Amino acid sequence: MDPFKGQGGIQMLLIAEQEAQHIVSNARNLRTQRLKQAKDEVEREAAQYRSHMEDEYQKLISENTGSSGSNVKRLEEETDAKIKNLKKSTSKISSEVVDMLLKYVTNIKT
Amino acid sequence: MKDADVSRQIQQMIRFIRQEAEEKANEISVAAEEEFNIEKLQLLEAEKRKIRQEYERKAKQIDVRRKIEYSTQLNAARIKVLQAQDDAVGAMKDAAKKGLLRISNDKKVYRKLVKDMIVQGLLRLREPSVLLRCRESDRKLVESLIEEAKKEYSEKANMQAPKIALDDRVYLPPSPKNSAVDSHEPYCTGGIVLASEDGKIVLENTLDARLDVIFRQKLPEVRKRLLG
Repeated sequence: MDPFKGQGGIQMLLIAEQEAQHIVSNARNLRTQRLKQAKDEVEREAAQYRSHMEDEYQKLISENTGSSGSNVKRLEEETDAKIKNLKKSTSKISSEVVDMLLKYVTNIKT
Repeated sequence: MKDADVSRQIQQMIRFIRQEAEEKANEISVAAEEEFNIEKLQLLEAEKRKIRQEYERKAKQIDVRRKIEYSTQLNAARIKVLQAQDDAVGAMKDAAKKGLLRISNDKKVYRKLVKDMIVQGLLRLREPSVLLRCRESDRKLVESLIEEAKKEYSEKANMQAPKIALDDRVYLPPSPKNSAVDSHEPYCTGGIVLASEDGKIVLENTLDARLDVIFRQKLPEVRKRLLG
C-alpha cells in the first residue's frame, strides 16, 4: 500500500498543517513571553535606578543637615555676640542716660 | 497520474506548508524582538522619569524645609535681639524711676520741685479756680507751698492767682513699696495733679508722668546710643 495514496496523503497534509499551526503558535507565545520579559527587565533596572537616586537623596540629606547645623550655629554665635555687645553698651551708657532723663524731669520751666 | 507523481506532489505541499509556517514564525520572532526593545525603552524611560520626578520633588522639599527652618531660626534670633534691646531700655527706665525716689526723698530738692510743678501747672491751665491733688504724704508740704506758688504765679503771669482747692478726700497713690518700681500696684513717686473746676481739663504733673513723656521723647536718642 502506497502511504500517499488515497486517505493517507490527506492525513499527512492535515498533520503538516497542524505542525505549521504549532510553529506559528509557538512564535506567538515567545513574543508574548518576550514582552513580559521586557517588563521584568524594566522593573529590575528601574529598581536599580531608584536605589541610585535614593543614595543620592540620602547624601543630600546628610549634606543639608551638616550645612543647616553650621548655619544655625553661626546664627546663634552672631546673636550671642550682638546681645553681649548690647549689654556692654548698656552698662557703658546707662548711668548717663538715667542722669539725662532725670535732668529733664527735674528741669521744670515756669 | 502515476502514484509516484502523486506522492511527489504531496511531499511538495507538505514542504510548502512547513516553509510558510517557518517564515511566519520568523516574521513574528523578528517583530517580537523589535517590540521588545521598543517596549523596554519606553517603559524604562517612563519609569525613570517617574522616579526622577519623585526624587526631584523630595529634594525640593528638603530645600524648602531647610529654608523654612533657617527663616524660623533667623526670626527667633532677631526677636531675641529685639527683646534684649527692649530689656536694656526698660532697665534704664527702671533705674530712672528709682532715681525719682531718691529725688522725692531729698526734702530740700523735692520742696522746690513741687512748688515749681504747681506754678508750671497753674501757668499752663490759666484757670480762675483749680483743684489740686497730691500724695497723702505730701499734703503738709503742699499746703505750705500754696501761697508761695500763688505769689510766684501772680508775678509771672501778671494777673491775680487762681483759687486753689486741695483735695482732702482723694489722694494720689503712695510711693512704691520697697522701691518696687516695676510692680503692677499703682504708685506715685511724687508731684501733683491739677484740674480745672469743672474737671474737664486735667494736668498731670507728677514725676512719673514727666518721666514717661521725656522717656518717649528721648527713646530714639537712647536707642541710637545703645546700638552704636
